Amino acid sequence: MNWDFIAEYLPMYERAAILTVKLGVIGIVFAILVGLICAMIQYHKIPVARQIVAVYIELSRNTPLLVQLFFIYYGLPKLGANLSPEVCGIIGLAFLGGSYMAESFRSGLETIAPIQRESALSLGMTNRQAMQYIILPQAVSMSVPAFVANVIFLLKETSVFSAISLMDLMFTAKDLIGLYYKTIESLFLLVVFYLIILLPVSILGSLLERRMRHAGFGS
Amino acid sequence: MKNLKKFLALSLAVVLTAGVTACGSSSDNGSQKSGKEVYRTLDEIKEDGTINIGVFSDKNPFGYVDENGDYQGYDVYFAERLAKDMGVKVNYVSTEAANRIEYLQTGKVDVILANFTVTEERAEEVDFADPYMNVSLGVVSKEDNEITTLDDWNKDDSVIVISGTTAETYLTKNYPDIPLQKFDSYATAKEAFENGTSVAWANDNTEVLAFALQNADKGYVVGIPELGSSDSIAPAVTKGNDTLRDWINEEIKTLGEEQFFHADYEATLADTYGLDYEDSLVVEGGKKSE
Amino acid sequence: MLDLGLDVLFKGSNMLRLLQGLWVAMQISLVSIAVSMPLGILCGGLMTMKNKLVRFIFRVYLEIIRIMPQLVLLFIVYFGSTRVFGWNLSGETASVIVFVLWGTAEMGDLVRGALISIPKHQYESSEALGLSKIQTYRYIIIPQTVRRLIPLAINLITRMIKTTSLVLMIGVVEMLKVAQQIIETNRMTSPNAAFGVFLVVFILYFLACWPISMLAKYLEKRWR
Repeated sequence: MNWDFIAEYLPMYERAAILTVKLGVIGIVFAILVGLICAMIQYHKIPVARQIVAVYIELSRNTPLLVQLFFIYYGLPKLGANLSPEVCGIIGLAFLGGSYMAESFRSGLETIAPIQRESALSLGMTNRQAMQYIILPQAVSMSVPAFVANVIFLLKETSVFSAISLMDLMFTAKDLIGLYYKTIESLFLLVVFYLIILLPVSILGSLLERRMRHAGFGS
Repeated sequence: MKNLKKFLALSLAVVLTAGVTACGSSSDNGSQKSGKEVYRTLDEIKEDGTINIGVFSDKNPFGYVDENGDYQGYDVYFAERLAKDMGVKVNYVSTEAANRIEYLQTGKVDVILANFTVTEERAEEVDFADPYMNVSLGVVSKEDNEITTLDDWNKDDSVIVISGTTAETYLTKNYPDIPLQKFDSYATAKEAFENGTSVAWANDNTEVLAFALQNADKGYVVGIPELGSSDSIAPAVTKGNDTLRDWINEEIKTLGEEQFFHADYEATLADTYGLDYEDSLVVEGGKKSE
Repeated sequence: MLDLGLDVLFKGSNMLRLLQGLWVAMQISLVSIAVSMPLGILCGGLMTMKNKLVRFIFRVYLEIIRIMPQLVLLFIVYFGSTRVFGWNLSGETASVIVFVLWGTAEMGDLVRGALISIPKHQYESSEALGLSKIQTYRYIIIPQTVRRLIPLAINLITRMIKTTSLVLMIGVVEMLKVAQQIIETNRMTSPNAAFGVFLVVFILYFLACWPISMLAKYLEKRWR
């Protein structure tokens, strides 16, 4: 192991890690938005929109992110839609993540028995109030474990951004292997940086999951 | 029974953890490795009956795959002949620029014939045979925004390079302020360049010239036809694989007598370049004419 | 008419090559899934054992494998292992190794999840009914576990097929690489090929994965 090499290229990995986290976080935020909208459309069974959402979810869940990105980044410009790699990465992550988020929110909503909504309505609450005070708080906490799993999944998926020339951790490692032939050192740094990013999220996830299990008595 | 299961599971887990952590724990290995050699000698290849040759599969007209799934191009034409004269079948391994050294050092291929420019840094990692083509760097750009110099660079513009090429090394070293847009394959780099991602693409001048000629109707010009030093392209083998390298050198010398690389040029490159570049590109018999 | 670059697919054997590329990806995932299913079940069973050491070891294995992006694992096995151990792995072999490691971990976790999801009172009730341990597993626990497991396991297959798109990055010529080659060869005659060809790749992946997901969904509903 050549530690001088590691010290020299540490800043490069830091920049790459920041890019990975930045794009990951922005993409995930959009994925949450897309997911929430889709889950609401499905929950309220809005016609037409609901069918569109169903098609979107199937398309998004049954194709790889890498293929989605190739199509967005290399294919779409042929029709005049020229996007920067960063924007493509975020769109791709939101497109993929949206459906996963939607599914986790939907299953969270489904765990709330209809009787709760009916009771809330009979107490004189409006539809919105029932949603806001009774259903959503419970549904959100029920979907936390799946949600955290999705976040980890999406952060991991950012590794394919390297294919559209984003200098993320993966590309940095590949590039250094190609430039200086220091395979071991480059891979070592790659693993270390992914651990730094993903380990805290994963630990947080299992903590939340354990708390949730205590909260969910009776089941 | 239970013990056996436990043992199996344990050993599995140990192997797995070892595999994952090994790259962190190995302290003193660089490119050299004790014990068994990774490469196959000439005799071993002949005995096996198949030679593994690393070529590009997306670099028209040097190494690419045609619509019937067959490898074609200047490098491939040579590879075919090499295998024929050795009396073995050829197995093409599709490579990317950044993987070429790696493939040789890990014995995944016996020879790299992927437009591999000879440089000092690379020669420390692999062994080059005698050259078969001349090359230098070049920069292609759009006619309406022709790039003729890399000095006074506008920092908002980027240059496309392919990861692991001499162009990347050269620009990183000599023009560290020019933002580079890096791609890992020729296919993706060209696609992005056509889509207007960057103002210029720096690569081997043979390649950018081919691109400009093939896409002349879309207004591409090679604004900088020669950048840096003039280099050559040669086959490469794993470091220390002398039997194979010597054989290739002999072969290149023999082929020179029949002007093989001129025929190669005419068969694969003339469609793109015309005949004007034949004498300046081709190196015959492994000897560069000064 | 808008040129979508679909014409290149009808040249020579291009479409067939694309399908062969998909088949390469499918083969890698099918072989991997066939190996990781039994290993995963074994692994999952061991994870519910009382032995703390065994549980700890598997926990570590599971976390390491699941936390690393698959692409990183592919690079470690493909490039790293050759460097460290001097193994000469082809891209295909390296992919199968990674997918088996990953599949076993995921499958193990699913099995563990399914096993502990059976409430304790079921074991107690069966005991109270006078069933032996073997009978309890044979008639009560395993049928329920299997029903919970199968849809999830089928979903794992689609995840594997999708993930095989990554093997392009370690030099396996699969569908995406074939797509790139086709686009490259026809760059002059069909400049918009990137749109059409990548669209077709997208659709082919969908057609490969969608029926399997549907099957999983159907079984999940039916056995609930």
